[in-house]
Amino acid sequence: MNWILPEGASLGFEGLAAPLRIVRGLGGGTQGQVYEVELEGERLALKWYLPACIARDPGLERRLTASIRSTAPNDAFLWPIALLRASPASRPLIRIRQESFGYLMPLRPAAYVGASEHAAGRLAIGLRQVLRACFGLADAFHALHLAGLCYKDVSLGNLFLEPGSGSILICDNDNVAVDGADHGAVLGTPGFMAPEVLLAQARPGADSDLFSLAVLLFRLLTRHDPLKGQMELAIRCLDEPARRRLCGEDPVFIFDPVDARNRPDPIEHAAALITWPIYPRPLQALFEQTFCRGMKQPSRRALTGQWKQELARTLDQRSLCPACGQENFQASGASGLCWSCATPLPVPITLVLPRGAVVAAPDNELHPHHFDALAGEDLRHPIARVVAHPQDARRLGLRNLSASPWSAEAHDGRSQPVAPGESCSLAPLARIHTPAGSIAVQRPSRPAPAA
Amino acid sequence: MPFPDVKLANRPLHFLYLCDCSGSMAASGKMQALNQAIRQSLPGMAAVARDNPEARVLVRAVSFADQAAWHIETPTPVEQLEWRDLQAGGITAMGAALKLVAAALQSPPMEVRALPPVLVLISDGQPTDDFAAGMEALLRVPWAQKAVRLAIALGHDADLEVLQRFIGSEPAAAGRSPRRPLQASNATSLAQYIQWASTAVVGAASMPASRVSEIPLGPAAGNIPLPDLPPTVLDPTDDVGPLVW
Repeated sequence: MNWILPEGASLGFEGLAAPLRIVRGLGGGTQGQVYEVELEGERLALKWYLPACIARDPGLERRLTASIRSTAPNDAFLWPIALLRASPASRPLIRIRQESFGYLMPLRPAAYVGASEHAAGRLAIGLRQVLRACFGLADAFHALHLAGLCYKDVSLGNLFLEPGSGSILICDNDNVAVDGADHGAVLGTPGFMAPEVLLAQARPGADSDLFSLAVLLFRLLTRHDPLKGQMELAIRCLDEPARRRLCGEDPVFIFDPVDARNRPDPIEHAAALITWPIYPRPLQALFEQTFCRGMKQPSRRALTGQWKQELARTLDQRSLCPACGQENFQASGASGLCWSCATPLPVPITLVLPRGAVVAAPDNELHPHHFDALAGEDLRHPIARVVAHPQDARRLGLRNLSASPWSAEAHDGRSQPVAPGESCSLAPLARIHTPAGSIAVQRPSRPAPAA
Repeated sequence: MPFPDVKLANRPLHFLYLCDCSGSMAASGKMQALNQAIRQSLPGMAAVARDNPEARVLVRAVSFADQAAWHIETPTPVEQLEWRDLQAGGITAMGAALKLVAAALQSPPMEVRALPPVLVLISDGQPTDDFAAGMEALLRVPWAQKAVRLAIALGHDADLEVLQRFIGSEPAAAGRSPRRPLQASNATSLAQYIQWASTAVVGAASMPASRVSEIPLGPAAGNIPLPDLPPTVLDPTDDVGPLVW
């Protein structure tokens, strides 16, 4: 890589009191180059634009300035911190003649890897983490859209995952603008672009974001593309005109309940056929809503709040197969078969809450939104987690992650306190009283004895 | 529990170098510069291939001098590729090289379904055999018609007209200059063009990048919109050496 900014050098920038040290180049593309930099002991990232990119996008500086003033919608965005231009003394050190600029942003921690690693099947990640990443993505776009902004270029390349927790980071926030206000240069990434944007019938905005978001969620959940079925197999050379037909002129969802022209091929598209049945019906319905009726009617696409709600409910329904240990997400009450090994799944213990129910399976969590009708779905501050007993994994307990003590009420009516950080065994309990509300422990009803 | 062991369906992306190894390539270190440029470009190419799980990037190379021959005959995944040095000596059988590539792009052996192939022709001189016949053979093959064809002219003696016929003429679209052979006048610019072809162009042909409105989305002149050329980066500490050809 030919780095435009000299690695190891300290450069002065207008408006920065201290010099910025260019630690090393991280990567580059057709827009610009990204560097790890140090400013007064703090490590940050600096994106430096190529002059051709600035020339193509006259609104870039104005959008960045507006974003910097408005601050990040939530902490999932690697949001611009400051716009930088080289000071006159440092300009000769920049190895490019034309005038250019860049912006500072938080540095992505090394534990976060590109979402394409997951798409390629190279990442060790669990279903729970993938669903949490999907929730994080929907949550981030919910905050962005509620702020009146749109992202315009949702794609696999702009998303990073932490595989251990399913936390996400969204980069390349330089196209963000007030929805409908700023006609920036970017149109999106083919394959993620809404059909009306690909066909140049509309500019990218919040409605096209909803389409791109659904594509990205589908790709994370299935490792497959929602529009690549039989109709893609019929294409020999997948070039631009072919992509335009497939994704713009005649787009058909591979699981469209009515239009069966683009069904997945059992061999070529096995990923979609294996993963799609894992997810509960209401979650599948949001994809159908977006990719069937919403394909041509942007206002009918599933909204970020709907995605948040269904993804959070899906996580609440997570149970483990007693035979193979694989995670299942079927609706409570519906005693189905494990998607992985086809063993019948037992009806699990369920924690019934003022708002919703959570299956008692290790690592499932209770959140404030399970108790408070006014709290939006949020997975960042759990107040309880289901844990397996350290000596006997079959015995499940509930750990108090809140700051207040609970009172656990057994079937015989006796109560016992559960201090913050402690866990109580679920087996003898009828309910748990917490300051947030009460948790009823519901067991599957035993079959009635034969008469 | 792990996510189901499934992988994204992918398509092959064939990347072919056509390298001039005539005797004139021995002058001024041009052959060594080309070997270095390709070798240095491989890690970046492998990184692009990793980032594009929808593509399976497979590399081959043809050398041409007195005759044309496969330098790398088996389509090789870029991460497994080891570049053996090409040797200069002989005349410029460019037409024969085109016929060799034309045969390789027939289906079979080409897959039924693929991404557009990328062909990169690098030459410092003029063909000494029947270039026109080679070009005709190449353009009869559908996969060659669909291919992204790039040409790099090494030094001032390269036959720009021949290279232009290889890449085909493309009318100037609004705001875009017509496509021309890339002219590498020294080792640094050669390395930049090789890097551009093996990373930015491979990226564009395998998974489309963000699109900006200046690039028309309508039926494009080419079947793959080419990314911007690398900017001229001023590098006073250029360790490749200021070779001028």
